[in-house]
Amino acid sequence: MSDELDEIQAIFFEECTEGLTTAEQGLSAMQGGDVSAETIAGVFRAVHSIKGGAGAFGHADLTAFAHKFENVLDEVRGGKIAPTPGVIKVMLSSFDVLSDHVETAKGLAPRPNDAASLAALEKVLADRGVPEDGAAPAAAAPVPAPAPAPVVAAPAAPAEDEFGFTPVAFALDDFDAPAAPVASASTWTIRFKPSRAALANAGEPLLIIRELETLGAKVLSVDVSDVPPLRDLDPEDAYLVWVLSMPGDVAQRDIDDCFDFVAPDSLVEVTRNEVEAPAPAFEPIPAPEPEMAAEDLIPFVPVMASIDDLTAQVQQVVADLAATPMTPTPAPAVVESAAPKPATEAAQTIRVDLSKLDLLLNLVGELVIRNSILADRLSPADRQRVELPELARLTRQIQDNVMSLRAQPIKQAFSRVPRMLRDLSVETGKQIELETVGETTEVDKGVIEKIGDPLTHMIRNAADHGLESTEERIAAGKSPAGTIKLSAEQKGARIFVRVQDNGRGINRERVKAKAIEKGIIPADAQLSNEEIDQLICAPGFSTAETISNISGRGVGMDVVRSNVEALGGRVEIHSVPGEGTTFTMILPLTLAILDGMIVRLASQRFVLPLAHVLETVQPEPGQVKRTSPDTEVIDMRGEYVPVKRATEIFGLNDDRLIEDSLVVIVESEHGKVGLVVDTIDDRREVVIKSLDQNLHPIRGLGGATILGDGSIALILDIEALVASTNRYTPKGLAA
Amino acid sequence: MTTNTESASDCKIVTFTLGKQTFGIDMGALIEIREWDEPTPLPNVPTFIKGVSNLRGNVIPVVGLAERLGWEPSAIHARSCILVVSIGGKQAGFLVDEVNDIVGISRSEIQPAPEVETIESSVIDGLVRITTRAKDGTRDENGTMVLLLDLEALSLTKHLDLAA
Repeated sequence: MSDELDEIQAIFFEECTEGLTTAEQGLSAMQGGDVSAETIAGVFRAVHSIKGGAGAFGHADLTAFAHKFENVLDEVRGGKIAPTPGVIKVMLSSFDVLSDHVETAKGLAPRPNDAASLAALEKVLADRGVPEDGAAPAAAAPVPAPAPAPVVAAPAAPAEDEFGFTPVAFALDDFDAPAAPVASASTWTIRFKPSRAALANAGEPLLIIRELETLGAKVLSVDVSDVPPLRDLDPEDAYLVWVLSMPGDVAQRDIDDCFDFVAPDSLVEVTRNEVEAPAPAFEPIPAPEPEMAAEDLIPFVPVMASIDDLTAQVQQVVADLAATPMTPTPAPAVVESAAPKPATEAAQTIRVDLSKLDLLLNLVGELVIRNSILADRLSPADRQRVELPELARLTRQIQDNVMSLRAQPIKQAFSRVPRMLRDLSVETGKQIELETVGETTEVDKGVIEKIGDPLTHMIRNAADHGLESTEERIAAGKSPAGTIKLSAEQKGARIFVRVQDNGRGINRERVKAKAIEKGIIPADAQLSNEEIDQLICAPGFSTAETISNISGRGVGMDVVRSNVEALGGRVEIHSVPGEGTTFTMILPLTLAILDGMIVRLASQRFVLPLAHVLETVQPEPGQVKRTSPDTEVIDMRGEYVPVKRATEIFGLNDDRLIEDSLVVIVESEHGKVGLVVDTIDDRREVVIKSLDQNLHPIRGLGGATILGDGSIALILDIEALVASTNRYTPKGLAA
Repeated sequence: MTTNTESASDCKIVTFTLGKQTFGIDMGALIEIREWDEPTPLPNVPTFIKGVSNLRGNVIPVVGLAERLGWEPSAIHARSCILVVSIGGKQAGFLVDEVNDIVGISRSEIQPAPEVETIESSVIDGLVRITTRAKDGTRDENGTMVLLLDLEALSLTKHLDLAA
């Protein structure tokens, strides 16, 4: 019982998080000058629904505070209180207190002191002479969340539920419209009989008919006269002839296109019928007699349809079917134009337990694997017959779609930042402006959950170390307020998250001195600027002279780097003295799929994450040199790269000579390392199966995957693997 | 198969052998019984973990149960099989010498395991006697002692924590 309640409560908290995000965005927009009715209403709705939920779960403090906050918002919404900068400021700080109250309700934080905030809200209300508990709450409480009709203004109305049918009505009109010329002008008559060969090649007539239907075709009749008596029936032969009518305004090309993938010996007749058609749109489908349609065909225009690579083409159709629902196209188009950008898209989403998506992804992964098992087991000739590539592509599309279900806009991770910066601004006494770009970039939910901490560190670092004090900035001829720009963008299968400040940049002299002092690098180390910048992420490094409230807690940028690397990403630092610093997290879009190189070690197969691989070499005699009885290096065009034998690390038997092996040069946190492998089998995307799901994380392994033959290949964790034997971290770092 | 009819059974167990001992686990925890298939070995794990295996897309550890319990490691033979069980939400496969039977027992028949001075006595949940028709046709008059395993106590995670 209580479990159920907890579950419902968990949903409420999730909604709170969303509501807070919405409210914060709205308030930030208001702070930025956007005081449109829509924005204010959005904030009001968010706070209102938090209040409602809080009341239902008996979070009295949260309810009370949200109530007061809502009162003010309601007045602002109603135009009784002007959203002046002062009022917005009060609302922003109230928002912070509201977030704290939510945390308290979750049991994650002690009850916040909301007295000051409540007083400020009171004051805002009082200054406008609005009775505290009179009309305002009465007006506010019964108003359901999506009700701010007077404010949101007319265009939003059709988006509301009860008007949802209106666009459909338009759609139907529109849909019928092309049918109108049918009665007056000419029509097409199409006779289609798939050949035996087409069926044998899995040419599905239904797909073609459906495609014709999307162009407005109607099936007039199905000619069954060729169907033999049951005992003579050959189930593999084709007997049926479909007769369809198509509105005359459809171009012949479009019709022909539908038959592009049909085997050449199928019967396809497309005839222009100038005679008025018997209004096919309004007649029940089976009524018209097929002979008539057949007789009326005056000019026979057989459509050419000869495509050899039938398999590849049909597969495209099937894949498209999977991607788009089979609805008549006009309808959605009209809906879109009729609905003028709804204020929220909540009505179109569905809340799904993440674990269900994980399960789905798992199943799809399994499907991918079965697919390759099939491919492995079938002879090439059989592969043609079962149209395996079609299945493979379909599977791949399903996989992509499932992945996209898990994708969430990154603004969820960004949403904590404004609040954090307001706090940091107070703590440091610096003026900080936040700019965000690309918040709608979509990333796997797992990634979003895991970049929160690194992001926090980077923002703190930028505010604390990056930006100068107001006085310093003025002295340097900069604007008094520092800017932190937070951006996200997707490039291929990677996502770039940047934290950019326009502060003082990295003081390389000091960083280097500090690194030498801490023994991270030798005193005589010659480092490039980039290498010095990277030192910020070295474990135990902190340039903060004094231990402030913000930094110096023993966690620094090294945490950022290790967290990001644990996600399979990396951190880049770019700094210009006097102009600022940019930290870039380069992350995979998803944690579920990995681009890997399949290698053999002692005849066991392993997966090397391709992101780490720089190059592969077949060592020449003498190219691998010993530097001690246990250590080897490989001469890479004059650069000596340490060589690791993963077989040793894993305790596998390996008596191969290094000259018979391949060396894969990988790049890790600890510099470049050559890994000795027997052979490279393949390069492919693999579905990551975590080991700790059923077992426990194992040092040196990033998980496992299932290969085409159903066997398991372990995924190497390059960082851990290299670190486990490499004790020369500082050296590796400087390399 | 089962002649254990002295009292109403209220719990079903799967019995199997490891060496000369007969063990039992609660049917409820059993997911499936599979043929032995060489698992993929794992590095840096205790020797009783034979590796990982593919169970319909799940990567599950395969445990040499005899070794895990301190007996001689099982040799692989034609009747070797893997009991796939679910322990606290995690799945694992146990290598056993032979799966015998599914037996209904009454909880009241279960005797507590004797306190023995081993590092973990809690792995055996209790003892129960069952009478079965022996494989060679002879009547097993005295019945067989079945060691009931406490799967929770067998949980792999804590051992791996030590190993890791």
